[in-house]
Amino acid sequence: MNLLALYCTHQTTPLAIRERLAFATPERLVAAYARLKDRFPGTESVVLSTCNRVELYVARPSDAEPLTPPLLAQFLSEFHDLPLDEFVGELRAATGSEAVRHLFEVISSLDSMVLGEPQIVNQVREAYRVAEAQGSCGSMAHALFQGAIRTSSRVRTETRLAEGKVSIASVAVGDFAKSIFDHFADKLVLVIGAGEMAEETLRYLKDEGVCDIVVVNRSPERAAKVAAEWGGRTAPWSDLNKWLGQADVIVSTTGADKPIVDAKLFKQVRTANPGRTAFILDLGAPRDFDTEVGKLDSVFLYDIDSLKKTCEENRKSRVREIDKARGIIDEETAKFMAEYYHRASGEVVSRLMQDWHGVSRDELDRLFNKLSHLNEKDREQIERTVERIVNKLLHPPLEALKVEAREGTPHGLINALKRLFGL
Amino acid sequence: MLKTTVVCFLASYALAFACELSQLKRRHALTRIISLLLAVAGLVAHTFYLLHRSKQAHLPPLLSSAHDWLLVVAWLAVLVYLFVTLADGELAMGLVIWPVILTLVITSRFVTDSPSYRLDYHRNWKMLHASMLGLGTTFVLLGFVLSLLYLWQHRRLKQRLMANGAVKLPNLELIERLNRWAILAAVPFQTFGIATGFGLSIFAKGGELPMTWTDPVVIGGAITGALMGVLFVWLLTQKRSPGRQVAMLTAWACGFLLVTMLGLQMLTAAVGMRSIHGSAPATTPEAAVEGRAP
Repeated sequence: MNLLALYCTHQTTPLAIRERLAFATPERLVAAYARLKDRFPGTESVVLSTCNRVELYVARPSDAEPLTPPLLAQFLSEFHDLPLDEFVGELRAATGSEAVRHLFEVISSLDSMVLGEPQIVNQVREAYRVAEAQGSCGSMAHALFQGAIRTSSRVRTETRLAEGKVSIASVAVGDFAKSIFDHFADKLVLVIGAGEMAEETLRYLKDEGVCDIVVVNRSPERAAKVAAEWGGRTAPWSDLNKWLGQADVIVSTTGADKPIVDAKLFKQVRTANPGRTAFILDLGAPRDFDTEVGKLDSVFLYDIDSLKKTCEENRKSRVREIDKARGIIDEETAKFMAEYYHRASGEVVSRLMQDWHGVSRDELDRLFNKLSHLNEKDREQIERTVERIVNKLLHPPLEALKVEAREGTPHGLINALKRLFGL
Repeated sequence: MLKTTVVCFLASYALAFACELSQLKRRHALTRIISLLLAVAGLVAHTFYLLHRSKQAHLPPLLSSAHDWLLVVAWLAVLVYLFVTLADGELAMGLVIWPVILTLVITSRFVTDSPSYRLDYHRNWKMLHASMLGLGTTFVLLGFVLSLLYLWQHRRLKQRLMANGAVKLPNLELIERLNRWAILAAVPFQTFGIATGFGLSIFAKGGELPMTWTDPVVIGGAITGALMGVLFVWLLTQKRSPGRQVAMLTAWACGFLLVTMLGLQMLTAAVGMRSIHGSAPATTPEAAVEGRAP
């Protein structure tokens, strides 16, 4: 199999190098395909470039000279105008079945920064789509990437690798807020402070349909920036209690060194809406809300520690699925390789059968011309007998070829058959 | 007509519940389908059983006996379960509703199943009385199930427990809304049912068993009905009350109503207490032949 994968990932290469090797824009990607075609004619190629990895998959016909990692590294160096010695040590290469296995692991999210994350499937699909649009895919690339998509689908349905959320904001919104509220379009979200995690939480809340966001921060400039980014409005710090009394969802990330809201204050500000449910996500460290607030009826208070535990449990339960996922990948890799080798030896098999059956047909015609007294039934009997003889004679070499094909392309046997039978 | 027995559908429902329980460990599409098929098979057998009983007693199932009346309520509950499950198969409703349905079916074996031939007069009013109480009880049962789901979900959220992948509970806001509607629907039906019952007793004609104020079923029904009425008024007058408080009150009120209703029916049947609903003797020998309670 003439397949090579050259790659650098978040596990092997620092971001500083990955971002220089990335094909960041669609235009750069199109240019890369054009350059690959120029440089390596007759080569199938697929480029996978994401924030966590840059990978090149190249395949050539079995009888063509194989591409080597240094050749592809040279291509990357020239294309990105980057000295070879700055990144060559960071690259990894895999060939044949190892390259197949690597792609299957990547698309199944075993190699992702967040184990089981779903985006990688779409990223690989997109890479395959672009390669196809650029005319860079042949039979090998099609088979490889379709096999990869099939594998990822099996891993996701037969294992729990993608189950459970693993980031604090996604757990808070997906596992808890959504179990409290039916819909978010009519909910008032109060953001206290304007940290990064608050913004991440806002992203998940926005996805759920949140429209009304109020940002309260000691620094009005920072509050205005966050509010503008997420389509919210700002309120002065002095109005905090007023908004605390009205909000349905409260996300707090202040840098205060002690709780800014205790149970007494919270009860007091909620007197106008005593039964109103409040979901509080306290992302401050130290905490912004006193733990007693969480004991109030209709208040659901979550802090980093309580969510971290859930994230960790989800992560662990995903890790427990790795072996199962690897088992599926092994199975799919073996299946892919067997199909590939079978295809490689298929041409010889069909030519051999054609030749032998051709010879037997000619001889039978000659015989029937001589024995014109034979009726249709007798002819049929003779034809069947000869066909059986040919099949029985062909069986041992073809069986040997089949057995050899399980281990790899049986080049030696194929050549021997070609020479022995003049194919 | 296909003749079925209580054991047929009771077994189907019990197996469907067992399938739901097995889902707690690992969710599997096949188990879910089997569970649904068992529920449908049970419902079909249940329907045939009620039709058969109705044909034999020459009375609608709601009116023939306490046994049949309970089975009609259970039948309605299975319908609600199937409707919800087909709408969202992931919901863990079966875990809560099956025990209630099984309790109703099992209890029906311990109450009188003798058809009471008292439909000579006020047939339509009696039908209205039984239907209203049947619908009211079904809504009470739903309120009870929803309250339990609410308390289950509330406990999980308060204790910050990770959602079990195998059990999906509805969100609090949705359960709260449905619970409120269940109670708001149950109380008018119950009240109207009780009121028509009193009316029928007052205007009872010759040959009918008159209502006595010491009839335990009537007393229990009136007390629990009043309790539900109080809950109803409280729900209507409260601007916004904590969901957990509503769920707790509903669970207690509905639970009390169900236990009282079932308990009193069983008690009157067991001790042969004189009751207008519980232990009225059949007036024809043929009526007593079929399916006497053990």
